[in-house]
Amino acid sequence: MGRVARLTLAGAALACLASGPAAAEPAWQLEPAASRLGFSATQAGAVFEGRFTRFQAEIRFDEADLASSRFEVTVDTASADTGEARRDEILTGPDFFWAEQYPTAVFEATEFTRAGNAYLARGTLILRGVSKPVPVRFRFERSAEGGAGLVGSTRLRRLDFGVGQGEWTSTEWVGDEVEVDFELRLSR
Amino acid sequence: MALTNSAQRYGLGPQLLHWLVVLLLALQFLLAELADELPDGLEKLAMLSRHKSVGITILGLAALRVAWRLLDRPPPLPAAMPGWQRIAAHFSHWALYALLFAMPLTGWMMSSAANYPVSWFGLVQLPDLVGTSHDLHEALEEVHETLAGALLVLVAVHVLAALKHQFVDRDGLLSRMLPWGGSRD
Repeated sequence: MGRVARLTLAGAALACLASGPAAAEPAWQLEPAASRLGFSATQAGAVFEGRFTRFQAEIRFDEADLASSRFEVTVDTASADTGEARRDEILTGPDFFWAEQYPTAVFEATEFTRAGNAYLARGTLILRGVSKPVPVRFRFERSAEGGAGLVGSTRLRRLDFGVGQGEWTSTEWVGDEVEVDFELRLSR
Repeated sequence: MALTNSAQRYGLGPQLLHWLVVLLLALQFLLAELADELPDGLEKLAMLSRHKSVGITILGLAALRVAWRLLDRPPPLPAAMPGWQRIAAHFSHWALYALLFAMPLTGWMMSSAANYPVSWFGLVQLPDLVGTSHDLHEALEEVHETLAGALLVLVAVHVLAALKHQFVDRDGLLSRMLPWGGSRD
């Protein structure tokens, strides 16, 4: 690490210290290429999977210091990818994510509890301009190389967030329930 | 009348399967046309989903028909039939059977390639036959449509041949497949 980078890090750490309750550890770095943010929804009674190809995650997490842990995940809604261009167009269009109007969806969590060998984050999801509490269960595992893996999922109702307008408010052909799952690879 | 085939006519089982598939095939062409004319949206999704469910039904019925055909000997062709017609009849029958499999299977693969897993009337989700691939989906769409054209041609030949036997040759071939054509038993 270069001298400048070291100084910058030190500066960032100082800034954190200065801005109220100190985070015990610096934020993890997301490795986008090794991470995945996916979803599964149902059409005509069949489950299909998709993913977001662009998202950022600011993860501060320490098993020993849940109180100062914090997640902030920002998802580029236009990056929804289901492997079929015409469906992606509808999904990112005004009836679903309306990416033009709401380019990002944000999940924020500051409240963490242990749940068996996993954790529960009680956070808030802001999607298509609607803010709702969303609990997310996840496992956090440190790797030998000093990195960590964050794996979890949650269930949403798309209509709670207005994802599906007009004819799409019907759940006969497109289910209301959507599972969101993620596998994040983190490093220092 | 008997459920199974006799030397003179098809049994009620093969007759029922034959005419059920005829009805469902007509419905398939109708659903495909209707879906084709709709813009991308919920109605199109619904129409295509029905098309897939009916297609899977035909696939099941095709398996049943072939099993029946192999286990229960069909009535022989008219003795007066020339050799080339026998060959043509066998070829077209087995080609029709083959298409009853190929149509739903290429449709199912098409759906898998587009990451639209197939469900049978929303009751059972079927496994994907191939991975998601835009190019494969495009290629399969071509194949599916070409086979549909071939199926239409074969059906036309099949119907014309049956009508010729009934009204020109007057050998009673068509009535062997009709439940009310039992007078020759």
